[in-house]
Amino acid sequence: MELLPKTRVELCIRVRLGRQAVDEMMAEHTPERLPDNLLLAFAPLHRMAMGIAAGAVGGSLLFLLTLFLVAKGGYPIGPNMKLLGQFFFGYDVTVAGSFIGLLWGFAAGFVAGYGFAVVRNIAVWLWLTVIRSEAEMDQYGDFLDHI
Amino acid sequence: MGSEDAQFEKAVVVLNAKLMGTVLGLLLGIGLFLATNFLVLKGGENVGEHLGLLAQFFPGYTVTFLGSIIGFFYAFVLGFAMGAVLGIVYNKVAHAMAP
Repeated sequence: MELLPKTRVELCIRVRLGRQAVDEMMAEHTPERLPDNLLLAFAPLHRMAMGIAAGAVGGSLLFLLTLFLVAKGGYPIGPNMKLLGQFFFGYDVTVAGSFIGLLWGFAAGFVAGYGFAVVRNIAVWLWLTVIRSEAEMDQYGDFLDHI
Repeated sequence: MGSEDAQFEKAVVVLNAKLMGTVLGLLLGIGLFLATNFLVLKGGENVGEHLGLLAQFFPGYTVTFLGSIIGFFYAFVLGFAMGAVLGIVYNKVAHAMAP
């Protein structure tokens, strides 16, 4: 009878402690960052920022144009510009009216800018969805051929 | 897929203020140039009675071919200013409010 030599099994357990070890482990599970070009192409417009920016442009434009006509003077002052009062209640071609116009212009610009950003973001989202669908179809379209 | 969506949601477009100004300036400039020349070519008794009111803000502008060129420059300057302000304000607000 022959005796087999004893085999020895070594089990190595490496224990890492500390903040650095946790960070390293978390980094291993962090998803890969998308390329900047891709983010730039599909990133949404900031709706509120676009609304405020367009509002600032619209409000200041109406304010300055009204003040320009008031400063220019003549009689009657801005009879055509005054017609905006049909839509912007309280607006008139006067100094007080220019401030009311500032508010109305901001409101109209804000709605236009915010709406533009919403529609643009929806269009980008739809575009992204179509691209994804097509990519998935390309990837899994021949799934049955491999069974 | 989920993390990609999250990255897209967190990302925000940054506008180039000079480019926005140039684009808006060209749009307004070419728009006024074409509108003026359309009226000039159309002719009639009182050519561009209402468009001519722009002369209140744009001194020298008239509804003629020469006026359309002058109007192009005025509208380009106005559009450039509007686009640049839009880009600058947008970037500042988006930077302040971005998640």
